[in-house]
Amino acid sequence: MSLYPVYPLRTERLTLRPFTRGDVDAVYAYRRREDVTRYLFDTALSREECALAVQQRIGQLALEAEGDKIILGVELDDNGALIGEVSLIWRSVEARQGEVGWIFDPNYHGHGYATEAANALLDLAFGPGAIHRVAARCDVRNEPSWRLMERLGMRREAHFREHALFKSQWDEEFIYAILWQEWQALRGEQTPT
Amino acid sequence: MSSLSLPIQTDRLVLRTFERSDIDGLSAYHALPSVQRYVFSRTRDASEVASALGIMRGHVSLQRPGDTLTLAMVCKGEKVLVGHVSLHWSDATAGQGEVRFCINPAYAGQGFTREALSALYDLAFDHFHIHRVFARCDGRNHHSIKLMQQMGMRLEAHYREHALFQGEWDEELHFAILDREWQRWTKVKDLPVRHRVA
Ligand SMILES: CC(C)(COP(=O)(O)OP(=O)(O)OC[C@H]1O[C@@H](n2cnc3c(N)ncnc32)[C@H](O)[C@@H]1OP(=O)(O)O)[C@@H](O)C(=O)NCCC(=O)NCCS
Repeated sequence: MSLYPVYPLRTERLTLRPFTRGDVDAVYAYRRREDVTRYLFDTALSREECALAVQQRIGQLALEAEGDKIILGVELDDNGALIGEVSLIWRSVEARQGEVGWIFDPNYHGHGYATEAANALLDLAFGPGAIHRVAARCDVRNEPSWRLMERLGMRREAHFREHALFKSQWDEEFIYAILWQEWQALRGEQTPT
Repeated sequence: MSSLSLPIQTDRLVLRTFERSDIDGLSAYHALPSVQRYVFSRTRDASEVASALGIMRGHVSLQRPGDTLTLAMVCKGEKVLVGHVSLHWSDATAGQGEVRFCINPAYAGQGFTREALSALYDLAFDHFHIHRVFARCDGRNHHSIKLMQQMGMRLEAHYREHALFQGEWDEELHFAILDREWQRWTKVKDLPVRHRVA
């Protein structure tokens, strides 16, 4: 089933919305940093590369075919700042598989914003997206990221050791996942009817 | 890399590449539903078994990434084909290899697969300089799971409902072992010393 969400998506403190050309500086502010890109496939980006990335993201708003991505900017309602981005990739149409990812500006870490935004994305994937399983992956050393996965109710499904090279070193990777019925049970607990 | 010296002799088996004449032996097990899980191409009837044999006959060495070596397990006494094991070179820069195995259920439970895999792991690590060998198996296949554990492999992944297999949700396990973790002393039999590339 294709997914054409209606934007923006709103949460308690955040607005998840399409990227716009005006976001380049805000994106550059965090994507230029080594501490942010350490465990990302990309290295630190130049301003030109950020402009290109933002340009690409402007069109990544729907899931129509396998491999499509939805990438949304996360805005903090309090001050209107762009504080990060979340992504949802359609990995398998037949088996209804999705994958989520996140990158946030370190100035806004530690407030639960990534959790809030990622939960909204899970709701989108499992609700209107009719996805059956959502996975996320990260480097074993990226503790903030896998702790976020655990806050979201995801289970650790894989711990790969030296299965690939990452930035010219042996890679060690976690894969976490959550199934539709697990998400359903979590939301049921949170909003009793 | 020195050239591959085949066949390999283990205590009870001869491991060699497949031959045209293996069609009957292969037909005895390859089309069984229990064997269909991780085979190279689906085989339900005689012509599909024949084409599977054709593919496996081409699996004679690992020259470049993507290549597969498939060895027929021939029981020394009865000279009968009891199953096969294969090693797929999935990634060259990271030295990754995937093993698969298949046994005729009539010969299961006697340790033949373990014997063949031990020789194959020696080959993978010592001859082909693979860094990590992994295997996938169905989460409900208790025989394979036990075998992987006996081989000293670690359970690295347990995927639930991540794919569909024949119309049903799949459960898949990944086991892996690194070069430095493979205990050569579990060797079934010492292989002849081979020349090594530095
Ligand atoms: C991964 C990443 C998004 C996690 O950010 P984060 O700030 O740890 O996550 P959250 O925004 O959910 O904040 C959670 C933290 O805020 C705290 N917090 C405060 N108020 C909170 C609230 N209302 N709700 C939830 N948590 C709250 C939590 O206790 C937690 O802190 P702790 O880790 O000290 O326990 C961030 O580290 C990042 O952008 N990293 C760089 C990019 C990257 O590596 N991305 C992932 C690649 S796989």
